[in-house]
Amino acid sequence: MDLEALAESVVKQAVRLGASDCDVIVTDAQAITAEIEKSSMKQASAVSDPGVGIRVFIKGCAGFSYCTGHESQAVKKAVSLAVSQSKSGTPDVDFKGLPEKAKPAKVAGLYEPKLAQLRHDDVVSMAIALSDRAGADRRITSVNAGVSVALGDIALANSNGFVGSQKLSAFEAFAESVARSNDDMFSGVDGGWSRRYDGRMLERVAETAKEHALLGLRKTTVKTGDYPVILDPMAAGFILATAIGGGANGESVQRKRSYLAGRLGKKVGSECFSVRDDPTIAWANGSFSFDGEGVPARKKNLVKKGMLESYLHDSYSAGKDSVKSTGNSSRGGSMWTYRRPPSISSTTLVVEPGDATPQEMLKDTKNGIYLRITYDYPNLATGEFSGLMMESYIIDKGELGPSIRQASMGIDLIEMFSAIDLVGKEAKDAYGVRTPSIRISKAKIAGSG
Amino acid sequence: MEDLAQAAINRALKMGAEFADVRIESSTGTNVIAMDGKTKTLTSLRESGCGIRAFTGGAWGFAATNGLTKGSVTAAAESAANMAKVAKAKAKIQFKIVPAKAVTIREEYKAKEKTVDVPMEEKVEFVMELDKSMRSMDQRISSTNARYDDLESDRVVANSFGTLSRTKERWLVAACSAWAKQEGVVQRGHASNGSVGGYELMRTDYSHGLGMKAAEMAVRLLDSKPAPAGKHTVILDNIMTGLLAHEAFGHACEADAVLSGASVLEGKLGKKVADERISLVDDPTVKNTFGYFSLDWEGVKSKKHVLIENGVLKEFMQNLETGSRMGLSSNGSARSQAYNSTPIIRMSNTYIGPGDQSKEELFSMVKDGLLIKGGQYGYVEPAKGQFMFKCDEAYQIKNGEVGQRYRDASVMGLILEVLNNVRGIGNDFVLGDPGYCGKGGQSARTTDGGPHVCLDNIVVGGLT
Repeated sequence: MDLEALAESVVKQAVRLGASDCDVIVTDAQAITAEIEKSSMKQASAVSDPGVGIRVFIKGCAGFSYCTGHESQAVKKAVSLAVSQSKSGTPDVDFKGLPEKAKPAKVAGLYEPKLAQLRHDDVVSMAIALSDRAGADRRITSVNAGVSVALGDIALANSNGFVGSQKLSAFEAFAESVARSNDDMFSGVDGGWSRRYDGRMLERVAETAKEHALLGLRKTTVKTGDYPVILDPMAAGFILATAIGGGANGESVQRKRSYLAGRLGKKVGSECFSVRDDPTIAWANGSFSFDGEGVPARKKNLVKKGMLESYLHDSYSAGKDSVKSTGNSSRGGSMWTYRRPPSISSTTLVVEPGDATPQEMLKDTKNGIYLRITYDYPNLATGEFSGLMMESYIIDKGELGPSIRQASMGIDLIEMFSAIDLVGKEAKDAYGVRTPSIRISKAKIAGSG
Repeated sequence: MEDLAQAAINRALKMGAEFADVRIESSTGTNVIAMDGKTKTLTSLRESGCGIRAFTGGAWGFAATNGLTKGSVTAAAESAANMAKVAKAKAKIQFKIVPAKAVTIREEYKAKEKTVDVPMEEKVEFVMELDKSMRSMDQRISSTNARYDDLESDRVVANSFGTLSRTKERWLVAACSAWAKQEGVVQRGHASNGSVGGYELMRTDYSHGLGMKAAEMAVRLLDSKPAPAGKHTVILDNIMTGLLAHEAFGHACEADAVLSGASVLEGKLGKKVADERISLVDDPTVKNTFGYFSLDWEGVKSKKHVLIENGVLKEFMQNLETGSRMGLSSNGSARSQAYNSTPIIRMSNTYIGPGDQSKEELFSMVKDGLLIKGGQYGYVEPAKGQFMFKCDEAYQIKNGEVGQRYRDASVMGLILEVLNNVRGIGNDFVLGDPGYCGKGGQSARTTDGGPHVCLDNIVVGGLT
């Protein structure tokens, strides 16, 4: 089926029914997954998920509808529902129109045909190899792991004449190694994300999960106090995805819900803290040739040497601020979905690397905390972060010491960015952020010691 | 849909599956979001599809399709059966799915007023009223967000043991968030209400008061300070006790976590894991709650699970597979987010049972501590044995009196320690707000609750 032709025809149907503006996404996606439980092959899955998502504007009011599949009657019904919804809401003069027709950017590394050749047993074999490697130590008693391969054809059309399509692929892996020693247990986790098959990534995920399961067995507590903290790329990625990706969301800023509102052109971090948003990186999971509204991909600085340089915009927030969309309209994740209306999101946030190796960072810190995993979100309204250090270690005389139980880190985000005094050179992709380790000179640690 | 389900199962068995089950769904739903006095998006969804699992030897194959034709569901069944064979060839752990009693029930969640019969205009009016009530509560309210969601789903669950059930499920939820601003300080408040059932829930005073509740919280927090970090004696309110039940213990009691070797509760059945005054329950049968279901997504009748009774670990939540592997039966704990996800073990309405102390008695026991109120979110890694949950607001307690207001305190602990640190349990049981629990990439509607509980030696994260 010609997805572009279908998207164009649906736009025409919506306009005929009264839409002043409309965009339509048509997707055809497949995913194969292999899951390992307790070091044994557990489940292989294949999910096919074609669908159509229709967004319609009448007097600036947005109606959205979607249907599973491409069947014409279901699509017609969805179009009529989207139009009818857009008549039920309130007019919005802040809506200035959808993006004009533009040529998609040339971005290499969005789709790897080799992934389409993989069969179920290939993916199963990868998951088993991952699990075997992540469990290659007598103290590892269980490995839970998974590998998934996803492929998608995506077409987008709008009522300003834009029509485009792109093929996207994704390759993801995770492993959790569980280690036991006497009565204690600990798990090491790691994940990898790419748009192509990456054998080295699988090896790294396995080795890292195993290494941290074992490292974590040696445990300690920490006393409440102020400490220098090195954030591993996993922790830095998780925090920055929300702190910068969510904080710089143009609409949140306009609605004064973000701590970054009113700080454009102002210092928000130290000289060694620079972050850009980049959807053009070959094989990065956040890359695309056009965004969820058809705006060509382009990179932009968000924070340059500590200065806040830009917010992230889609067509709505850009229109409201009379600026151009930054191309940050997202259709949800690395494999786009037709199930949600587009919203603003970062693509791949890239933290500018420094020149310190991980060992140099530890040596230079002497005594402090190494935070590897947290799953806490900053409070974007207050600009504060307070979260559990799910996996963290004492840094003792420049060496990684025992893992800390039952402790948290708390810090104001602007203070945290301003306290960054050392940035590593080895970057890793984690949660949509390509970042090396970063050191904060001081953060409040609450502990049970 | 029943014929399609049967055709899919027959094909999977013919292809060599030892066991097969199928979920076919057809769903409709609406979503209305308003921000700052205007509608943001009005959504109408229509979904249909089929997910089929085939089991062989010790491994599963799963396939999902959006096509509800005989050709597409049987093709999916073949794919699932083939994948099960591939997986089985590599499975180190072999087991069988023990035949369970066939269930043939047709059921429909009751509703006085079905959400599909309520015009979109009326739902919009309700959401706009919520939005307005937030903005008119106080001039310091700087931004507002009100939303309403409903879903009606017709689901057939069938399996090769003869189960063929059909459930018409319906649920709805409304939520408000308000941001207040004063002298450069911004705070957020929120409130929600949701349940299975019909639109009558949105006609209650409680639902119409959500906006006011959210706005009041945002304004109240303007004079709050960051929470003091360190070890404290704490009193958890009903919502936070619910989060404790869910995060600190509930997830570790899911039998799939135990069988995967990733729960610190492995080997602890029948052993004391908590203060003897603690009972912890997961109960999907509590009517008119957001976590309610009567048949699980494997077609097994749901039931109340007493996970901890008088401090002793009594039971895990089970599905067909884990029940078979542990020599037990499923206790109806399998749930899927939708047809295109496999059923996994999930909680429903999770709570700590009431004690016999009044709230006043609990407060009088605390000389120096914190009152922790209202939950934002929480998470746990059962293999690390650590959990955390974050509150909306906290208050200093001095000699039993509530004082300084704090915000954003995170409470953390160790699964095997926290419920042994109980100082007192209140008698004021409340099943709290609706929420969603995430696990394995799937979302499930849940409710948590309990009485006020006083705990010693709790690490509270904060900025000062």
